[in-house]
Amino acid sequence: MFKKALFLMAIISVVAACSSSDEGSGNNNDDFDRTALLTNLSNNIIVPVYQDLNTKLADLVTQKNVFIAEPNQVNLEAFRTSWYNAYKVWQSAEMINIGRAAEINYVFQMNIYPTNVSDIQNNIQSQNYDLAHVNNNDAVGFPALDYMLYGLAENDADLLGFYTTNSEAPKYLAYTSDLTDQMNALTQDVTSSWSSYAQTFINNSNNTATGSINKLVNDFIYYYEKGLRANKIGIPAGNFSATPLPDRVEAHYRSDVSKALTTEAVTAVKDFFNGNSYNGSASGESLASYLDYLNTIKNGEDLSTLINNQFDTAQSKIDILDSNYILQINTDNTKMTEAYDALQMAVVLLKVDMLQALNISVDYVDADGD
Amino acid sequence: MKKVALSLFVIGSLVTSCSSDDDNTTSETQIAAPATYQFERNGTSTVSYGGQTTRILMAGELVSGFSDTSKSETDISAMFAHVEGNNDFSDVDLNASNKSVRSKTAASTDYYSANTTAAAAIKADFDAFITDQVNNVFPNWSIDATAGNAGQIQQAGGGSIRYVNAKGLENNQAFAKGLIGALMADQILNNYLSVAVLDAGDNRANNDADVLDGSNNYTTMEHKWDEAFGYLYGTDDALAPQLGADNFLNKYLARVESDEDFTGIAQDVYNAFQLGRAAIVAKNYTVRDTQADIIREKISEVIAIRAVYYLQAGKVDLGTDYASAFHSLSEGFGFIYSLQFTRQPGTDSPYFSKSEVDAFTTELMEGNGFWDVTSETLDNMSESIAARFNFTVAQAGS
Repeated sequence: MFKKALFLMAIISVVAACSSSDEGSGNNNDDFDRTALLTNLSNNIIVPVYQDLNTKLADLVTQKNVFIAEPNQVNLEAFRTSWYNAYKVWQSAEMINIGRAAEINYVFQMNIYPTNVSDIQNNIQSQNYDLAHVNNNDAVGFPALDYMLYGLAENDADLLGFYTTNSEAPKYLAYTSDLTDQMNALTQDVTSSWSSYAQTFINNSNNTATGSINKLVNDFIYYYEKGLRANKIGIPAGNFSATPLPDRVEAHYRSDVSKALTTEAVTAVKDFFNGNSYNGSASGESLASYLDYLNTIKNGEDLSTLINNQFDTAQSKIDILDSNYILQINTDNTKMTEAYDALQMAVVLLKVDMLQALNISVDYVDADGD
Repeated sequence: MKKVALSLFVIGSLVTSCSSDDDNTTSETQIAAPATYQFERNGTSTVSYGGQTTRILMAGELVSGFSDTSKSETDISAMFAHVEGNNDFSDVDLNASNKSVRSKTAASTDYYSANTTAAAAIKADFDAFITDQVNNVFPNWSIDATAGNAGQIQQAGGGSIRYVNAKGLENNQAFAKGLIGALMADQILNNYLSVAVLDAGDNRANNDADVLDGSNNYTTMEHKWDEAFGYLYGTDDALAPQLGADNFLNKYLARVESDEDFTGIAQDVYNAFQLGRAAIVAKNYTVRDTQADIIREKISEVIAIRAVYYLQAGKVDLGTDYASAFHSLSEGFGFIYSLQFTRQPGTDSPYFSKSEVDAFTTELMEGNGFWDVTSETLDNMSESIAARFNFTVAQAGS
């Protein structure tokens, strides 16, 4: 009996090995509870992230108003602190480019860097601008505020001068104020859209190119590859250019929080992958549990474990970087490229192995320049 | 016992039927390989690899720059990392191009997409050849080289003058032969023939359904394969390769072909390119990948054979004709450097790892470098290299 069972198992495994090499492990008709996945992502991650970001931006507006009314060192510090708090939360929001956020190109209006100083200066001088215009994508958002709060001058006294004694102080105050209000308005818009959009998002659970899971997973991987891997580490480290470009780091003018922001981003990516609630420690259905449900194995190991391990390895490479990436690049850029390489190792797991298991097509293509 | 035998028999037949799907001899008969590398759709060619031709030409001018003492480090570096529109080359078409050699140096998907740290170190090696040439060799252009001092040195019998660095290394040779691995072989073997590139995104589904790449007349997968082809035949006649068309991989495939121990290798490589491309048209990816492995093996062999050949050639002149020895050893140095870009068929690994290659080049450059390298070192190195391939030192060295 035992022998027979063994024999049958052998045949099954041979047949399985046979067919799996012929086609990707498609699973159009698996019984995983896709609705539960979308519900968890929506209710416990996306909506709480937007709500927190909305709160942080409301505070940013408050601190900005205090600063505008009385531009002094104390109020500048409070404004800066509020900016940094909001920027950290932003790291959980950038990957969610779906629904209203996609419609209004929210990400393009919030975190395009390097910010374009000449565009900002032109706007300040002209006092005639449409901050939502595509031409201003690199003159608004967190990076533009980074410049207004840290980059206008070498020291705080001179920087405050732009808002007080400078003959054009009213223009600087106006631009800083408008920038902040615009970020807040956009965030309110996106946050409030989810009160009705959440259900649409959850209901759209089928596996098609326009299904919520397909789109969100593509957004997630695209963000991981571009927003996180390339923008935060790869581009400044010179992986896409002839020489390193330290002026491309995130929060360039503040300069000592680039690593902290990257760390927030990696944590957010990991939480999203594992379905961990943004508030509290609960977790629910996730990409990881979906992969486990499909019993996705690579090289004898659960794919979800491999991905989580790789996120951890990447974080450990980021941990040893200087909090100031500009200093890190200029002293030992190898540590930057090693962090990039560790991040990249997960791209293959996500983009090839995970997508194949979930039977999702990539909806964007990298051009290699030929 | 009988039952076990029977079950083994059944399992065996299952394995056979399984692998016969993958068996290329069966599949190959279904694919009509054309007589030449000519592929058309609706009467128009689908073959395109202009970017590869451009880079081969750029690399050619760049290496010539090593012999032009009027050039600055910036000039030569700019030829290496060309930016569209800059007047880095004598050829206006190259100047107008948006291609760059440096950006594709140690840049394959399989080897370097998650190892940019090694890629950066390799690019830095190439940068260093340029720096050393301009800063140390150019100023000593008309001074006789001695151990520890850069300069010129003439081959015996009124032969060519060689310009070497303090260790007897010709930077131009190290650069050019190193580029055969870092640019041509790496892009062919580890990028464009890679499953990760050929099957990226929806390439396979699109190729199956004849979905073309934008407004082009080819599918993306067809084009990737052609780009691999272009790094070898980009300046040659694609329909009837003459070989020796460039000073890089194409030329050294010809050199190996002309050694009677290896005659036929050039045709093997060309045939594999042809059949693999025909397999893509026929949507038979098993045959395609088999041909990719043939190309990987043969091109890796070309690099290894030339590495051993030059080590042996250098050995003969050592102590009698330093300039000739240095010239051979400099070429050998470049080919050894290129070993890290080779690809063992059926694996994701080169025949020699980067650290093994680094150990070889460090050994060659020890002390005063080629001035005091011994025959024994060169022989040991030759044996180590040949041992991982299907040829002997004697075969390569002839």
